[in-house]
Amino acid sequence: MTIRAFVLSAACLAALIAPALADTTVTVLHVSENPAQTALWDKIAADYNAAHKGVNVQMKYLENEAFKAKLPTMLQSDSRPDLFYSWAGGVMQAQDKAGFLKDISADMASVDPTLSPTAVEAFKVGGKQVGAPFEVGEVAFYYNKKLFEKASVKAEDVKSWDDFLGAVKTLKAAGITPLVVGAGDKWPMHFYYSYLVMRLGGEHALADAKAGKDGGFKSPVFVEAGKKLRELAALEPFQPGYLQTKHGESAGVFGDGKAAMDLMGQWLLGMQAPNSASGKGLAEEDIGILSFPVVPGGKGKATDTLGGINGWLVSKSAPPEAVDFLKFFSQEKYAKEAADKAAYIPVVKGAEASFTNPLFKRLAGDLAATTYHQNYFDQDLGPSLGRVINDVSVAVAAGEMTPEAAAAAIQEAADQQ
Amino acid sequence: MTEPGAVSAVAGDHRVRSPAAGAPAADGRRRMTLNGWATVAVFLPPALLVFTVFVFLPVVEAGWYGFFNWDGYGRPEKVIGLKNYEWLFSNPAFQRALVNNGLIIAVSLLVQLPLALGVAVLIAGRMRGAVVFRLIFFLPYVLADVAAGLIWRFMLDGSYGIPSLFTDMLGLQPFYLLASKDWAFSAVLIVTVWKYFGFHMMLYIAGLQGIDKEVLEAAKMDGASPWQRFRHITLPLLGPMIRLSIFFSVIGALKFFDMIVPLTGGGPFNTTHTMVSFLYYFGLTRMRIGFGSAVGVVLFVICVTFAFGYQRLVMRDD
Amino acid sequence: MTETSVRGRASRERNGLGALIAFAALTVLATAVLVPLAFTALNGFKELGELQAHPFALPRSWVWRNYWDILAGARYWTVLGNSLLLAVLTVSLTVALSAMAAFTFAHLRFFGDRFLFSYIMLGLLFPLATAIIPIFIRVRDLGLLDSYWGVVLPQVAFSMAMSVLLLRTAFRQLPYELLDAAMMDGCGYFRYFLFITLPLSGPVLSTVAVIAFVDSWNGYLLPLIIFNSESRYPWTLGLMAYQGQYSTSWQLVLAFITLTILPAVLMFLMAQRYIVAGLTAGAVRG
Repeated sequence: MTIRAFVLSAACLAALIAPALADTTVTVLHVSENPAQTALWDKIAADYNAAHKGVNVQMKYLENEAFKAKLPTMLQSDSRPDLFYSWAGGVMQAQDKAGFLKDISADMASVDPTLSPTAVEAFKVGGKQVGAPFEVGEVAFYYNKKLFEKASVKAEDVKSWDDFLGAVKTLKAAGITPLVVGAGDKWPMHFYYSYLVMRLGGEHALADAKAGKDGGFKSPVFVEAGKKLRELAALEPFQPGYLQTKHGESAGVFGDGKAAMDLMGQWLLGMQAPNSASGKGLAEEDIGILSFPVVPGGKGKATDTLGGINGWLVSKSAPPEAVDFLKFFSQEKYAKEAADKAAYIPVVKGAEASFTNPLFKRLAGDLAATTYHQNYFDQDLGPSLGRVINDVSVAVAAGEMTPEAAAAAIQEAADQQ
Repeated sequence: MTEPGAVSAVAGDHRVRSPAAGAPAADGRRRMTLNGWATVAVFLPPALLVFTVFVFLPVVEAGWYGFFNWDGYGRPEKVIGLKNYEWLFSNPAFQRALVNNGLIIAVSLLVQLPLALGVAVLIAGRMRGAVVFRLIFFLPYVLADVAAGLIWRFMLDGSYGIPSLFTDMLGLQPFYLLASKDWAFSAVLIVTVWKYFGFHMMLYIAGLQGIDKEVLEAAKMDGASPWQRFRHITLPLLGPMIRLSIFFSVIGALKFFDMIVPLTGGGPFNTTHTMVSFLYYFGLTRMRIGFGSAVGVVLFVICVTFAFGYQRLVMRDD
Repeated sequence: MTETSVRGRASRERNGLGALIAFAALTVLATAVLVPLAFTALNGFKELGELQAHPFALPRSWVWRNYWDILAGARYWTVLGNSLLLAVLTVSLTVALSAMAAFTFAHLRFFGDRFLFSYIMLGLLFPLATAIIPIFIRVRDLGLLDSYWGVVLPQVAFSMAMSVLLLRTAFRQLPYELLDAAMMDGCGYFRYFLFITLPLSGPVLSTVAVIAFVDSWNGYLLPLIIFNSESRYPWTLGLMAYQGQYSTSWQLVLAFITLTILPAVLMFLMAQRYIVAGLTAGAVRG
């Protein structure tokens, strides 16, 4: 390209973007490649841009791991996003401590009452609100109805931990793999450990451990949770080679009907078909949802739920239009649309009525009626402790680590923070 | 036509020559002239500048982070002195990582390099299909690690990959190589050899092609067998390149990382970590930047010790 | 027939058999090496589920769409172009700076030369990942964030150590008589460098170029941290489009990667031709 041509095209380009520069740009950075979600968000952005001349809201995508790797440095440069995706928990607290987040408690005061209180709480650090939630999820057992029938297991009868172990044994005796887990990625296994801690210790278990009460993470609750996990794993309920199976493959195993149950988050429904060998997966009528069983003698209730809480954080340098967009985003009509399209489970109260998909309806109902909703342990505790919990969950299940050693390892990581 | 002071075909220092007045020193370098200084002034600064700004200074800063407990956000604040080092040396995963690095070095030197040399000798010349072979053997090095790790993960899968071929044939239970505490690392070693022998082969080919053909021809005329020619001419003339290749091999083995992430992720149970993958998983992804920097410093010290010792003992004349 | 030619004929026959065995061994090795690569390409023709369940088999049905969608999309060509630009800039600068520095270390003796050489060798001993945050801060403060130079310069810096080491070794191996003769003819170091050292170092220069090219081509962490504009992403970042939070479209990832190996392969073939040319040039030297 000659110099002249280059200068000419640069000038044209500048002329084209000049009007855009007059607008306030609001960048929203996220990690979703779920087409239903991204389509809805693009629509919300377009609606907002149309209603507010002079503002240009742009949605930008980064892959999950890339996002996590890049955000710390990005926040320290001029190209920091104004709004960005968050899983709340430890990372959010670190971002706030470093001074990257804006306090929007006053701005959101009008919107918060319309949202689920647990979700709003999750996005507060030290009492001040730094972001707005938009999605909540639940981890539960997805089960294959046909396989249950084949082994004569009735989902309604599986209420307590002993019922559950019984069901596992029955399935195994019928030649069916009871559980599938993507232990190669580690975090799927920590769902078991987390739920056991919740069922045994109730809603204060994690908070107490973080505060160091009763030995912190070495408390009897955590040790007992490890023992129960080992009890389950000793029955050999998982698919062969489970230690090397990655999450994507495990979804495929479930979709191919090769295992009866999968303890997973709601995205499994969208994943089981494309990841299956047949490409078709299970029909949704053949999938059922079973809540994690109650442990007798434990303080946790059957209605306590574990699941993600996702939202948008606001960066300190964001223009007021960004917060305004956040309020626009949180409107009930969009939440209803999200429910209708089963894009995600919104946090706006009453949205669960809009779900047509029965499985999502069930999940949303659980979440609306929840007595205690806990964010994923590996998000809540931050990346360092989170990874340790993931590691030890797999180690305990595989019998490589005693429950006591596992609990001690978590506490050691907590001490090193 | 041979040049004055021609290369001697005898093994040993091929740079022996009779010194003349004002001659260069034993390593061939000469006293500085004005022209020499001008050369230094023009040739050296650009490289030094780029290197200092983008390698040296960042590395020093990274080392400094090693004294902090820092999550990567904002500026480092929490000074903890040598605590990071205490934690890392008592960490069993790190101890295993050190062992693993040693294993990679051993396999590289004993398997990878001889293989690369053998192949290079065969295809450095102009035999039929030499270029095609060179391309094929070099391709694994070109393939990005994300793909190589992924494909090998599939290839070594217990249910569908190579191990299943054997277990099916022998009627055994499927063997999950990558889930095995004891054998997962051997998978890493296999993939290492596959990926990097082509790189060393390239180095040797470059070296072989720099050897004066006339010397080999002369020896052939004198009736030397291929093995004799190899042992007494090729190998010594290739000496500097071989020593260099060993150097790169060891340093590369110490810095080995990119393949671990897609292949094993350091698992199962932290048995397949190398120092750098340990740095990545236990430092960077857990937002313990100070801890990761400490690992980096330990790695650096090990590398420097090796490099220094190797230069002194082995590469004295190169 | 003289004794020599009889011996010559016998050794030719012996060589014939030896060459055949060598060829056979190489072919077996080549096949073993190619299998994983072949399956990278083949798995690009499958659907995700089939890939995960039967990764080591031929595609049951050939999903040409995977490859076609990538080739027909603008993204592939944009990211390829960016990768190429980055790689070409990195290679040119690396070869230029490293050759100059290596020449200095090979032929000139001055105060601090060994110290400076060891200084540059330090670059070999530290992985890029550890210093990524300081590099980011440096690039940002220099105003090079989100620019090609912000990626090229650090890549050149980190490639320098290996290149300088390789080139210095190679330059030292050239016969000193050439330099003596040149000096006596009144040739300065500059001209010697340009007209004698470089042309005679074809093989090792190509090797350095290929290594620098591949390292730049496959670079991921540095572009990720430095680039913010999607229009500048190299292919390693372009891959993100196929990776999701919970699930990755591995078949598209593999197809994409297969398509991105091609330029690196072309670079290698070009470098190879130059090496062969260097061989011929060497034969008529002197």
